[in-house]
Amino acid sequence: MRLALLADDAAVWSSRLLAVAVVLFLVVPIAICVVLSFDARDYLGGFPPTAWSLRWYRAFFDNPSYLDGLVVSLKLAVLATLIAVIAGTAAALFLARSRFPGRAALETVFLMPKFIPTVVIGFSLLGFTAAVGIRDAFTRLLIGHAVIVLPFTIRAALASLVGIRPSLVEAAVSLGASERRALLDIVVPLARTGIAAGAVMAFVLSFDEVAVSLFLSDPFTQTLPVVLIAEMRANLNLTIAAVSASFLVLTGTVLLLLDRTLGLDRVIGQGIYRT
Amino acid sequence: MTAGAPRSWGLVAPALLLLVVGLVCPLVYLARESLHPFVDGRALPTGWTVTNYAELLRPAYAFYFFDTLRFGLVVSALALALGTPLAWIAARTARSALRRAILGLLIGLLFTNLVARLYAILVTYGTTGPFSGFARLFGLSAASPGFAAILVGIGLLHFVLPVAALTLIGTFQNLNPRLEEAASSLGAPRWRVALGILLPLAAPGLISAFLITFAMCISNFVVPLLLGRGVVLFTTNLMYVRITEIANYPSGAAIGIIMLVLVFAIVYGLSALARRLLPGEATS
Repeated sequence: MRLALLADDAAVWSSRLLAVAVVLFLVVPIAICVVLSFDARDYLGGFPPTAWSLRWYRAFFDNPSYLDGLVVSLKLAVLATLIAVIAGTAAALFLARSRFPGRAALETVFLMPKFIPTVVIGFSLLGFTAAVGIRDAFTRLLIGHAVIVLPFTIRAALASLVGIRPSLVEAAVSLGASERRALLDIVVPLARTGIAAGAVMAFVLSFDEVAVSLFLSDPFTQTLPVVLIAEMRANLNLTIAAVSASFLVLTGTVLLLLDRTLGLDRVIGQGIYRT
Repeated sequence: MTAGAPRSWGLVAPALLLLVVGLVCPLVYLARESLHPFVDGRALPTGWTVTNYAELLRPAYAFYFFDTLRFGLVVSALALALGTPLAWIAARTARSALRRAILGLLIGLLFTNLVARLYAILVTYGTTGPFSGFARLFGLSAASPGFAAILVGIGLLHFVLPVAALTLIGTFQNLNPRLEEAASSLGAPRWRVALGILLPLAAPGLISAFLITFAMCISNFVVPLLLGRGVVLFTTNLMYVRITEIANYPSGAAIGIIMLVLVFAIVYGLSALARRLLPGEATS
C-alpha cells in the first residue's frame, strides 16, 4: 500500500516535471532570440552576448525592404479583416437565425478554408487569378487573406450570436423597425465582443500568414514574413532577431485585447464542471 | 422558413461570393490544370492526361509522401504525449492564476509569427546556439545534414504543441471530476483511475487532437523550407519546387489535389470514423 502511494506520488511529480519541461521547450528559444536581438557583436556568436546595443533594431528600421513589407502586411491585414468581418458577421447573422435542411452543410462550407492546406490555396489562387487576368499582386493577396481568415470571423460572430434571443428582433420589428435596422441596431451591438475577438484573430492570422503570401507576392509587393523568409534563406544575421522580437509586441497586444474582449479563460470555454 | 428567419439570402451573399471567387473557382482551376499534359516552355496546354498523377506513384515521388506522413505521425504522437500533463494541470488546477498563465502562453504562441519562432529555434539549436550540443544526443553535429530532420521535428513540435494542448484542455475540463473521486474513494489506485476511467472518456478528444495536429503537420510548408536545409522536403515543398524551379504547373497542381484529398480524408473521414467507433461525446 505504501509502495503504491509512493508510485502515485512519483507519477504526479514526473508529470509536473514534464509540464515544466514543455513550457521551457516552448519559451526558451523565444527568450534566447529576444536576448540575441540586443547583441552588439557583428556576427551570430556564442550565447550569451558579451556586449549590448540596439543596432539591429536600427538596422530593421533602416532597411527599406522590411519597412515596405511592414506597410504591405499592415494594409493587407486591415483590409482582409474588414472584408472578413463584414462578410462573416452577415453570414453568421443568417446562420444563427435560420433553420433549414442545408444549414449545417452551409456552416461546414464556410469553415472549410481552415482545413485546406494554405499552399494549395496560394497556388490555386495564383493560377486562377492569372487565368482571369488579375495581375495585381496586392489584389490577389487580399483575396487569399480574406478567404483564410473568414472562418475565424464567422466562428467568433456565430458563437456570440447564439445567446441573443430572437424575441428582441421580433419586438423591434413589431414596433415598426425594418429587419435590417433591428439587426444593425440591436443584434450586432449585443454581439460586439465576439465580433471584436474574431477581428483580432483575423488581423493577426493575416499578419502572420506565410504560405499563401509566398505564392501570391511579387518582387514589388511582399509581406513582412515573406521578406523575412528571403533574408533567413540568405543568411542568419541578427536583424532577423530584432524583427522576430518585434513580432512579440503584436502577440502581447493580441493577448491583451482577447483578454479584454472575451477573457482568456473564455477563448476555449470554461468546461461544464468548472464553477 | 420559421418566424425569426431572415427574409433574404442577401446576408450570406458576400461570404459566399468570397468563397466562390477565392476558393471554389481556384480549386476547380487547379483540378483542371492537374489533368493537362506538361509542355515545357509553358505553351497553352491542350488535351487531357492522368500522367501527372501516375508519375507521383513512382518510388522517387512516393517517398516524399511517405516521409511527410512519417514526420506527421511522430510529431503528432509527441505533441499529444507532451501536451497532456500541461493540459491536465490547466484544466484541473484550483489556482486560476496558473490556469490563466498556461492559457496565455499557449494562445500567445498561437498568435506568434511562425517564421519568428523558427528563427528562434535555429539560433537556439543551430551551430552557434546555446543548445547546439543537443545534436550530439543523436550522435550528430549541429551542422550535419542529418540534424536537419531533427530540427524540422523540433520546429513542427513547437508549431503544433500549443494547438494540441489547447484542444486537450477543452477535452479534460469536460471530464466529470466526480468519477475520479468515486473511483479513488472506492480504493482504485491512481494508475487504474487514469487508464480505466479517464483514458476511455478522453479518447474522442485525444483522437481529435491527434488528427488536428497530424493534418497541421503534413500540410505545413514553412518548417521544412526554413529548417530542412534542402535535405528534408515535405510534399508541400515538392509542390513549390515543381512550380517555382521547373515551372511544371500541371505536376504541382496534381500534388496539390492529392494533398487536398489527403487532408480532407483525415479531417472529415477519420473523425467521422472515430465518432462511429467511440460512443459518447462528439469528437470535433
